Amino acid sequence: MSLFFKLVHLLPGRRRAVEEEMREELESFAALAEAEGRRAELGSLTRAAEKGRAAWIWSWLEQFAADIRFAARTMKRDRGFLFTAVLTLALGIGANTAIFTLVHAILLKNLPVVDPTALVRVGNHEDCCILNEAASSREGSYSIFPYETYKYLRDHTPEFEQLAAVQGGGADLSARRAAGNAMSHSSRGEFVSGNYFQTLGVQPLAGRNLMPTDDADGAAPVAMLSYQAWQRDYAGDPAVIGSGFYMNTHPVTIIGITPQAFYGERMTETPPDFYLPISQEPTLGFYSARNKAELGWLFLIGRVKPGVPMASLQEKMSGLLRQSLGELKDFQTVQGKTQLAKAHVVLTPGGQGVANMQHRTASSLYLLMGLAGMVLLIACANIANLMLVRGLARRSEISIRMALGAAKARVIRQMLTESVVLACLGGVAGLLLAFAGTKLLLRLMFTQAIVMPVDAAPSLQVIGFAFAVSLLTGLIFGVAPAWISSKEQPANALRSANRSTHDGSSLLQRSLVVLQAALSVVLLIGAGLLGKSLNKLQHQELGLETENRVIIDMNPMKAGYKPEQLQGLYQQIEDKFHAMPGVEHVGLTLYTPLNGDSWSFYAYVQGQSAPAPGQDAGTLFNRASPDYFKAVGQRVLRGRTFTSADTATAPGVAVVNQAFVKKLFKPGENPLGMHIGLVDIKNSGDFEVVGIVEDTKYQNARDEPDAIVFVPMLQSVHIGPPKDLDSSLYAGQFVLHMQAMPPDLEQQVRRTLASIDPNLAVDHYQMFEHQIEENFSGERMIATLTLLFGVLALVLAAVGLYGVTAYSVQRRTQEVGLRMALGSSRRSVVVMVLRQAMLQAAVGLVIGIPVALFCVRTIKSVQSQLYEVAGRDAGVIAAAVCILAVAACIAGIIPARRAASIDPAKALRAE
Amino acid sequence: MDLLQGTLEMLVLRTLGLGPLHGYAISKAIRAQSNDVLEIEFGSLYPALKRLEVKGWVSAKWEVSEANRRMKVYRLTDVGRKQLRQEHSKWAEFASAVARIMGPLAEGGKG
Repeated sequence: MSLFFKLVHLLPGRRRAVEEEMREELESFAALAEAEGRRAELGSLTRAAEKGRAAWIWSWLEQFAADIRFAARTMKRDRGFLFTAVLTLALGIGANTAIFTLVHAILLKNLPVVDPTALVRVGNHEDCCILNEAASSREGSYSIFPYETYKYLRDHTPEFEQLAAVQGGGADLSARRAAGNAMSHSSRGEFVSGNYFQTLGVQPLAGRNLMPTDDADGAAPVAMLSYQAWQRDYAGDPAVIGSGFYMNTHPVTIIGITPQAFYGERMTETPPDFYLPISQEPTLGFYSARNKAELGWLFLIGRVKPGVPMASLQEKMSGLLRQSLGELKDFQTVQGKTQLAKAHVVLTPGGQGVANMQHRTASSLYLLMGLAGMVLLIACANIANLMLVRGLARRSEISIRMALGAAKARVIRQMLTESVVLACLGGVAGLLLAFAGTKLLLRLMFTQAIVMPVDAAPSLQVIGFAFAVSLLTGLIFGVAPAWISSKEQPANALRSANRSTHDGSSLLQRSLVVLQAALSVVLLIGAGLLGKSLNKLQHQELGLETENRVIIDMNPMKAGYKPEQLQGLYQQIEDKFHAMPGVEHVGLTLYTPLNGDSWSFYAYVQGQSAPAPGQDAGTLFNRASPDYFKAVGQRVLRGRTFTSADTATAPGVAVVNQAFVKKLFKPGENPLGMHIGLVDIKNSGDFEVVGIVEDTKYQNARDEPDAIVFVPMLQSVHIGPPKDLDSSLYAGQFVLHMQAMPPDLEQQVRRTLASIDPNLAVDHYQMFEHQIEENFSGERMIATLTLLFGVLALVLAAVGLYGVTAYSVQRRTQEVGLRMALGSSRRSVVVMVLRQAMLQAAVGLVIGIPVALFCVRTIKSVQSQLYEVAGRDAGVIAAAVCILAVAACIAGIIPARRAASIDPAKALRAE
Repeated sequence: MDLLQGTLEMLVLRTLGLGPLHGYAISKAIRAQSNDVLEIEFGSLYPALKRLEVKGWVSAKWEVSEANRRMKVYRLTDVGRKQLRQEHSKWAEFASAVARIMGPLAEGGKG
């Protein structure tokens, strides 16, 4: 009620009426009092009115409104200042808001499920995807579990309302609607326990939910379809619900659609299209992981009953884990038993689900946040400077106000209001910039995203953040000018209006410019180091040729091929693609360099003793068709590569790289003709080394090349028991080396593959150089943004330097005139002004360079970015120094020339 | 004599409890009833009246006095009357409590 009155009172018309009434009433008092001769006892009526008003309204609110009106009026007068300040602020606030949008969306948000804070993840790392359980722990901490262990944990922990399991990796699916003549889609599935959706509290958008009964042995095969895939691949057709599909050639019924906001239990660029019960894994998957008690492949996430203490639950589950793992052969050896004793689980908050994206991006995002913060600080310094200059120009105005009795606090408040209004204007413009900026950031961050895991639209929290930053910014850049203005001695300022030689704020102004210069040097050095590092990464000698080469992903396993059919398939692929016009080489393989995939085994040289425990005898393993090495441009150093005669039944042969020779053979030993084996020492006679190829980076562009061994496509490596399917026989990619790149190559490739078998889809089509480029997308994003911020900082610092120099030239007009009248040359005036500007830049350098070096040395996320670049790279530092010097020169020369063009006669006459 | 915080509003309510009055009359009544001990400045009385009006405890109406002068006359509302009763019992309790503590000094005086 009273609030309503107060607000109503703010309306101009209402306020006038009330004022009138108040005046009338007070006057009637006065008249009465006068009639009785007691006027003096009344006291000041004006004060009574003032206090009466305070009872009616929030006077501060009214004053605030007046301040804002006043601020708007003064700013309207000064459009140039307004534009510069708002633009500067918008850049600073926009950059921060854009990055905060990502920080908020990725690092601070929980899963869009019911009460996410009650979720608990069993485990604290995300090592993936199908691991031998014995090798899956990090210092005894287990995060990925076999199905048997999951069941054991689930059935012995009544502390959980629900404990769900979800596949660590994804399931590669080829999905086709059973009805009609539908195309098959290359899709991503995820095997989940039957209580997965119940655990998360997710209800289907349409159809019914996946239930534990669907996950029982012998249950009818069903799946949930994600909303995104439903819209994208099936045009939101409601008939999909309840309809039959073929997945990897097996029938599956779609029972429901997940809600629109739901993206699974983890944030990823490739969220699952289908959620399938774990009971289907042995049929649809390729590894029968569900039936192997020693394979860790499931992440666990559960909802704990209220009031259960985490510490004791963790203790209990660690004990259960040891009991479950103790059943396994691997844990029954002497080594295994010591390992088992250390086995434990760590319970972590599960509100974000499986948080690999969070863990992967956190350091980059915080680094960017820091950089953006620096830019904002520079922007603040800039505007503080502008405000100071403006405050000095407004000196006489403020002096008059204070002479007329305005309180110091009131003047400060008024100035601060102006700053905050300005900052908020900047904030609004910044929000717009941030929206565009976030989109750019997302594109830089998730180059391969099928579904952007993050929405660029600013949320309430982001808007709140921008507002808070604006407010803070306004206070930061407003306090100093306001304080200085309020210290003004009215009499002094009025007397000396515009002629003062005293320049009280110039030290502060110069310090701000020095701060700007220092910060921009830090950013420039950072940008230089990161840019150089990226350049080195991109232009390193990979030992490959990438021009005119495309990489095609496929999966014959999805298309239902049996091992014995592969020979024919590979032959057809080689023949059909060779027949395409312009094709030079067709090379089949498990995986191509730097595509993110890898297989690795232990390797054994025949005649050598078994490696000592702890000795690393691991090597990358790959398969290659005869033309593969030519197709990727990997050079052969000695011996030969494979031929069509190296079939499954021919004697085993292998090609190794230099790193392999160095790692496994003795110095001086000739590997050609020697025999090696994989997985187990008893296989060491399997393959004769027939060729040595040059080292290439296969797994990681940053590390030294790994040892790698290639064997022909179809020769067995004895990975597991003979009855098991050897999935390494299935080619995952093939490379086409073209003479030139015809524009419709992709269509040709798709048609050709479909002509071999319609079930065989192109899962992914990409230029070889793009595949390699993708390895650097994170580095590129950081380097690009640092450079962007560095340039922004430099421009702001230069503008700041220009402003201060120009201002001091203007104030020193008479002094310069006098100097010239006394015989100073124009040149010496230029030098004098320039020297001052350069001095500030130099002090900035002296501060900035050590700070930059210190940052590079101490901040881990910076160090981890650098590749073959020393933190104190002299070239980069020299370049940063030069760039700043040039910028300072440009910023200084304009006012210096203006100073030199002063006409002494005029300048002195003005005095 | 200075008033305790909030006491003025109570005094105004009590004064208006006797009947509607205009602002100047309120100040006069308080002074007279306190034997000229309590001198209410308009600078205090006027905002107090406004606060009471905002709270809805008194209502104000322009009326023409016997001397044919336009005066704003304040009267208690029902809410105000209830409030007066409450304040009254609270005050009585407070005053007797203070009186018990202040008793031993012997010399009797008001509030």
